[in-house]
Amino acid sequence: MLSASDLAPPAPPSHRPRPATVLRVAKGVALVVAVAAVLLFPRLAADPFILSVGVVIASYAVLATSWNLVGGFTGYISLGHAAYYGVGAYATALLIIKADVPPFVAWIVGALLVGLLAIPIGIAALRVRGASFVIVSIALVLILLLVFQSWGSFTGGSNGLRVPRPFSADVLRPEQHERFFYLHIALLSVVLLVWWVIDRSRFGAGLKAIREDEDKAESLGVPTVRYKLIAFVLSAFFTALGGGLYALWFGFLDPIFQFSILIGSYMVLMALLGGVRSLFGPAIGAVIVGVALEFFKSRYGDTQLHLVATGLLLALVVLFMPDGIIPALTNLVNRFRPTASSIQEMTAAELLQRDRAERPSETELSATEVADENTAVPR
Amino acid sequence: MFSGPLLLQSVILGVLLGGLYALLAAGLTLYFGVMRVVMIAHAAFLVLAAYLAWFFNRQTGLDPLLSLAVTVPLFFVIGVLMQRVLMSRLRPATLTMMSVLLTFAIAMFIEGMLGFVWTGTQRRIQLSYSGASIEFFGARIAVVKMIAFALAAVSLAGLYLLLKKSRMGQALRATIQHKEAAQLLGINTERIASYGFGLGLAIAAIGGTALSLDSTIYPSLHWRWIGPLMAIIVVGGLGSIPGAAAAAMLLGLAQSLLQLPMGTTWAQTVFYIALFATLILRPQGFFGGRLAQRF
Amino acid sequence: MTATISDLPVTTAGLETVGLSKSYGGVKAVDGVTVSFHHGEVNALIGPNGSGKTTFFNCVTGMIKPDSGTTSYRGRDITGKASHRIAQAGIGRSFQLCRVFPRMTVMENMLVAVRTGNTFAQLRSARDKTQLDRARGLLTRVGLDHLEEVEARNVSYGQQKLLELAGVLMGDPETILLDEPAGGVNPALIDRIKILVRELNAEGKTFLIVEHNMGLVMSLSDHVVVFDRGRTIAEGPPSVIQSDPKVLEAYLGI
Repeated sequence: MLSASDLAPPAPPSHRPRPATVLRVAKGVALVVAVAAVLLFPRLAADPFILSVGVVIASYAVLATSWNLVGGFTGYISLGHAAYYGVGAYATALLIIKADVPPFVAWIVGALLVGLLAIPIGIAALRVRGASFVIVSIALVLILLLVFQSWGSFTGGSNGLRVPRPFSADVLRPEQHERFFYLHIALLSVVLLVWWVIDRSRFGAGLKAIREDEDKAESLGVPTVRYKLIAFVLSAFFTALGGGLYALWFGFLDPIFQFSILIGSYMVLMALLGGVRSLFGPAIGAVIVGVALEFFKSRYGDTQLHLVATGLLLALVVLFMPDGIIPALTNLVNRFRPTASSIQEMTAAELLQRDRAERPSETELSATEVADENTAVPR
Repeated sequence: MFSGPLLLQSVILGVLLGGLYALLAAGLTLYFGVMRVVMIAHAAFLVLAAYLAWFFNRQTGLDPLLSLAVTVPLFFVIGVLMQRVLMSRLRPATLTMMSVLLTFAIAMFIEGMLGFVWTGTQRRIQLSYSGASIEFFGARIAVVKMIAFALAAVSLAGLYLLLKKSRMGQALRATIQHKEAAQLLGINTERIASYGFGLGLAIAAIGGTALSLDSTIYPSLHWRWIGPLMAIIVVGGLGSIPGAAAAAMLLGLAQSLLQLPMGTTWAQTVFYIALFATLILRPQGFFGGRLAQRF
Repeated sequence: MTATISDLPVTTAGLETVGLSKSYGGVKAVDGVTVSFHHGEVNALIGPNGSGKTTFFNCVTGMIKPDSGTTSYRGRDITGKASHRIAQAGIGRSFQLCRVFPRMTVMENMLVAVRTGNTFAQLRSARDKTQLDRARGLLTRVGLDHLEEVEARNVSYGQQKLLELAGVLMGDPETILLDEPAGGVNPALIDRIKILVRELNAEGKTFLIVEHNMGLVMSLSDHVVVFDRGRTIAEGPPSVIQSDPKVLEAYLGI
C-alpha cells in the first residue's frame, strides 16, 4: 500500500559530473604541463641570469621539501634548518679541499656525515616539543654560525671558502647552470619520491598521528621517539644534499650566508605557503617565494627591504593562510561561488553533517539515531 | 692563574650582566606565561629601543635615559595592540607554533626597517661618562654597566611589586597559572594578556635603552641576544619568572668568567651548552615552576 | 557477571601491581598499591575524587613513571616502560577527555594503531586491504562506517568516543583500560558502550574501567576495586562492595 513517504521525491542525484573526477583530471593535466615546463626551462630561459635564478629556485624547492619531511609530517617546526644546509655545504667543500675526495662523492659523503650528526642532535632536540623545539633549532644554527666564523683556520671563517668546481674550466657558465639545474631537479625528484613513500606508508600514518597528538599516538603503540628521529635524520640528510649541491654550483661559502636564519625561515615560509600536507606544496611555495624574492631584489636593490618583505609575507601566511595557499584560495573561490541552491540538494544527513561541523556539542546523537537520519526523507 | 682583581672584575661584570639578562628574560617569560607565545621579536624590540635611544641622543643631545619617558609607554601600547590585533587572531590549536612564526616575522620586519631607515652602519652613543669607571678592590667597573644594572634592578623590583601587590599583577599571575580558573573568577583574561604583552615590551624598552649606553648597535644585533635569552628561559623553565632570573644570573656569571680563558666569542657558547645540557638532563628546566612542562 | 566467576581463584595472571607508589610534592597520590586485576573479566576501579585512580591509571599505562613498586602484565614486568611498549604488550587505553586525531579522517584515525611489524613493514601502504577491512569491520561494529572520510574534528563528541574505542581495538589488545567511558555522553550512548564491553569481554578481552557512574559500574563489572587516598580499601564483586561500610565511609564521609 502506498504511503505518503513513498510519494515524496527521492533525494536527487547530483547532476553535475562528479567533482572529484574533474579535479583529478585537472591535477593530472597540471602535473604534465608543470613537468614539461620544468624540463624545458633551460631551453626557454631568456638569458643565463634567468637560468641561474631557476637554479636557486630549484634549490629552494629541494630545501623546502626536505624541511617538510620533518616539519610537515611530525609538526616539529625547525626554524634553524639552515644548520644542516650549512654543514652539508661545508662538509662537501672541506672533503674536496682537505681530503681530495672527488666532488660528487664528497657531496654524498658530506650529506651522510650530516645525517650521522643529526642523530645525537635529534635525540637531544626531540626531547622537547612545540616552542622549546623551535628555540633549540634556532640555537643550533646560531651556535654553528659562531663556530664556523671563529674557526677560521679550518673553515676560512668570515673570509669565506672557495669551493673547487666539479666541472672543468672549459664548461661555460650557462652550461654549468643548466647542468646544475637538472641536478637539482633530479635531487628534488628523489626527495619528492621519499615524501610520497612516507606519506602513504604506515610509518607516515604514525608520523601524522604524532603531529596531531603525540601522547595519544604513543598510547596506540606508535614508537614516537624512534619515528621522530628517523624523520628528523632523513630531513637533515636531504637538506645537507641541497647544501652540498649549492656549494658545488655557487663555488663560494660564507658562514653568514650558509648558517642563515633567513634561509631557514624561507624553508618554513615556502612549505607553509605551498601547504605542508601536500606533495608539491613546498615546491610550489618555493616557486612563489623565489620569484617574489627576485622581484623584490630587482625593485629595491640590495637594501634590507627583502627582510621586510619576507617578514610581511610570513606574517600574512601565518595569519591568513596557515593551511597553505591552495586551501586559502579554495575558500576564497567558494565565497564567490553562487550560493548553495535550495535545501533539496542536500540530504538530511549532509545537513546534519554541516550543522555538526559548526556546532559539534549541540548536535550529539547516538550512532543508531544517525543511522536513522540516513534514511530520512529530505525536506 | 688569573689575578685576583681580574677574577673579581669578571665576577662583578657577570653579576651586572646577569641582572640585565634577568630583566630581559623576565619579559620573555611574561609573553609565554600569559599566552603561551614565544616572542622571538623581544630582542628585536630591544634593539629598536636602543636605536631610538641613540637617535634621541643624536637629535637632542640629551641623555638617552630620558628617552625612556617616551619609549616605555610607547612600547607598552604597541604590546597591547600587538596582542589584540595579531596574537588573538591565531587559532588556539596551533597557537604556540604559529606565534613563533609570527613573532619571527615581526623580528625580521623590524630588522629590515632598522636597516632601511638607519642603514647597516654600526652606531654607538658617546656620552660624557661613557669612558668613566669605578675602582673596586683592583677591579675596574665601567659606570655605564653599573647604570644599566641599576636600571635593570629597579625595573625587576618594580615588576615584582607590580605582580605581588597590585590587582593587575595578581590578575596577571592568576592568568599565568590557570587561565580557565582566572576566567571563572571574573578576570578578563584577554585584557590581562594584552597587558602582559605590553609589560613585556615595556621591559624590552628599558633593556634596550640600558643596552644603548654601552654597546655598539646594528640591525642584526637581536640575533646575538635572542639566542642566549631563549636558552635562559628554557634552562630556567618556561613560564617561571624567578626561574628565568636565576638562570640568567647563573649564565651571565658563567659567560663573564669564561671570557677570561676563552675570549668573548667562544664564551657565548655557554648559553647553548647549558641549553643542550638542560635538554639531556632535565628538559623541563632547572628552576621552573608548574608551567615548566615539555612544551 | 555471574557470581561464580569471581568466586573462582584467579588462575591466569593479568595486570598486577605490587607496592606501586607515586608522590607529587609531599602528597602521596598512590601509596603502595598492591592489586591483581582479574584477567578475562570486567574490572572496575572506583573511588572518590582525589583518591589517586587517575594517577594509578597513568602509572600503569606508562604515561607517568612511578616512584617505586612494580607493574606486571601476564608475568612480564612493565614498570616504567614507555607507553608504546605497553600498547604493544597488548594493553590498550582510552582517555578521560576523549582523544582522537582531529585533522585526520575517521579511517586515518583507525589506521594508526601499531601492534608489531618489522622496519620494512612500516613502509608499506597504510591503506592496505587487510587493514582497511579490519578497520571497516570495527567501524561498522560501533556504527561509524558511514563517516569514514569525515575529519575526526567534525563528528560529535559521542561519535569521537566510539571512534577512540574502535581505534584502540585496531591494535587488537588483550586488555583494555577505559578512563571514564561514560563521561560526557548521553544515556543511549552509555548503553551502547555497555553492550560493546559485554560483547568484547565475551570474546575474551579483559577490561579495567575507571568510572564514576555507579549504575554502569555495578551492572557491568565482575570485580570492583575501591581506592581512597591512594590506597585500595576494598575489593570484590559489586554486590559485596555496595554494602561495604569502608566504601560508604570513603564516599560519604560517614
